[in-house]
Amino acid sequence: MDRKTILEKGLLLNYLLGELNAKDERLIESALQQDKVLRQEFQKLESDFERIALENAIAPPQQVKRSLEKVLNKERDNTDIPVKPLNTPGAFNPARLLVAASLAAIFALTSFWFYNQWQTAEENIRIAREEKEQLQESLQKLSEEMQKVNTMYAQLNDKDVIPLLLKGNTLAPEARAIAFVNHKSKSVVVNPKALPALSEEETYQMWADVDGEMISMGLVPTDQELVALTYIDRAESLNITIEPKGGSDHPTVERLISNAYL
Amino acid sequence: MDDTSQINRLKNGDKNALYALYDKYSGALYGVVLRMCRDKELSEDLLQEIFVTIWEKIDQFDPDKGKFYTWAYRIARNKTLNALRKTDPLIQKEDMGVYNSIEQEESGTNYEALNGVIKKLEVHHQKVIELVYFKGYTHREAHKLMGVPLGTFKSYVRQALIQLRANYPLTLLFLSICLDVFDHG
Repeated sequence: MDRKTILEKGLLLNYLLGELNAKDERLIESALQQDKVLRQEFQKLESDFERIALENAIAPPQQVKRSLEKVLNKERDNTDIPVKPLNTPGAFNPARLLVAASLAAIFALTSFWFYNQWQTAEENIRIAREEKEQLQESLQKLSEEMQKVNTMYAQLNDKDVIPLLLKGNTLAPEARAIAFVNHKSKSVVVNPKALPALSEEETYQMWADVDGEMISMGLVPTDQELVALTYIDRAESLNITIEPKGGSDHPTVERLISNAYL
Repeated sequence: MDDTSQINRLKNGDKNALYALYDKYSGALYGVVLRMCRDKELSEDLLQEIFVTIWEKIDQFDPDKGKFYTWAYRIARNKTLNALRKTDPLIQKEDMGVYNSIEQEESGTNYEALNGVIKKLEVHHQKVIELVYFKGYTHREAHKLMGVPLGTFKSYVRQALIQLRANYPLTLLFLSICLDVFDHG
């Protein structure tokens, strides 16, 4: 590139400012090396701009130099570690702070959410465990009752069972009770559902007549489907009386309402 | 006034040579950087970084190709423009009216105002020098900002440089530099 073109295009200023691409820069540098006049022109330009810059200098704060000295001293101490680049504009970049704050907020929110989820899950597990326990309890109760019923049913259905109908006498003509007697297994079960309800102060009691003596077989509450009573050997008849609440040692014969022979 | 000996010492790893060059040129470079980015904190960081780069890359400086200050100015300009590109698109908007950090309002100092011989130039010549040298605009960006065709802008640049030359009689030149070094050094 010749001097005229360079001067006319004002490329020396572009070169001075560092605006040229690598190829043009090399062209100008080689022209400057070969052309003394051009070189002088460039030197004048450099001087002019240096003067302008010095005339418009602004004294930087003292701390910049101190900081520079610190950086260079650190570099000497750690020659392997490169000097920290200072591209970042200051430590308190608001954008960075904002990003950090946002991340912290997101972290806090997600943590809170996860904590809530965890607590809810814990609560659900607790409720499920309680429900399971309740169900197990109910199941056990039902099983026990079913076993009871099964036992009763087995007792009633046994081929050795003799059902006896105890009809009410004139004192209680409506009264009916069925006794299931098994001499083999020595058991007595009574269905008292057809006995008339008594006042709270009274109860039915069953007796076995053994050689003229009445032996208590037990109380017969009417609120049960089947009542298991004590089997008495050699009983000749079964008798039902109305006794005061809690039963009696000896039957109140005046209030005998039903009897049946075995 | 010659930097040769200091540069030779600097190339030999003498930090004091760097500090001497800092004392001489930091004000000029800080003036350019601060006018370019208009952010005091950023300018201070950049100034430090510029001198660290000078320290690290002084071997790449070839005195046959130009003056030390020209080389340092290029480093300053590149670093500042890169930092501005990274930080905030608001800075260096085309209308030059929107800045997010206007230090001069806080401190009461008008960093924008130019001093010295440049004030003697015609207004449009002052503007040309300000845009290309103190603001870091390329000719292609600057002519649009001034609202004149690129050719006209280039003519302004040439005229401004000739006027500058004419306004720098040799004696005044030395006097001004000495005063400046005295003030800022």
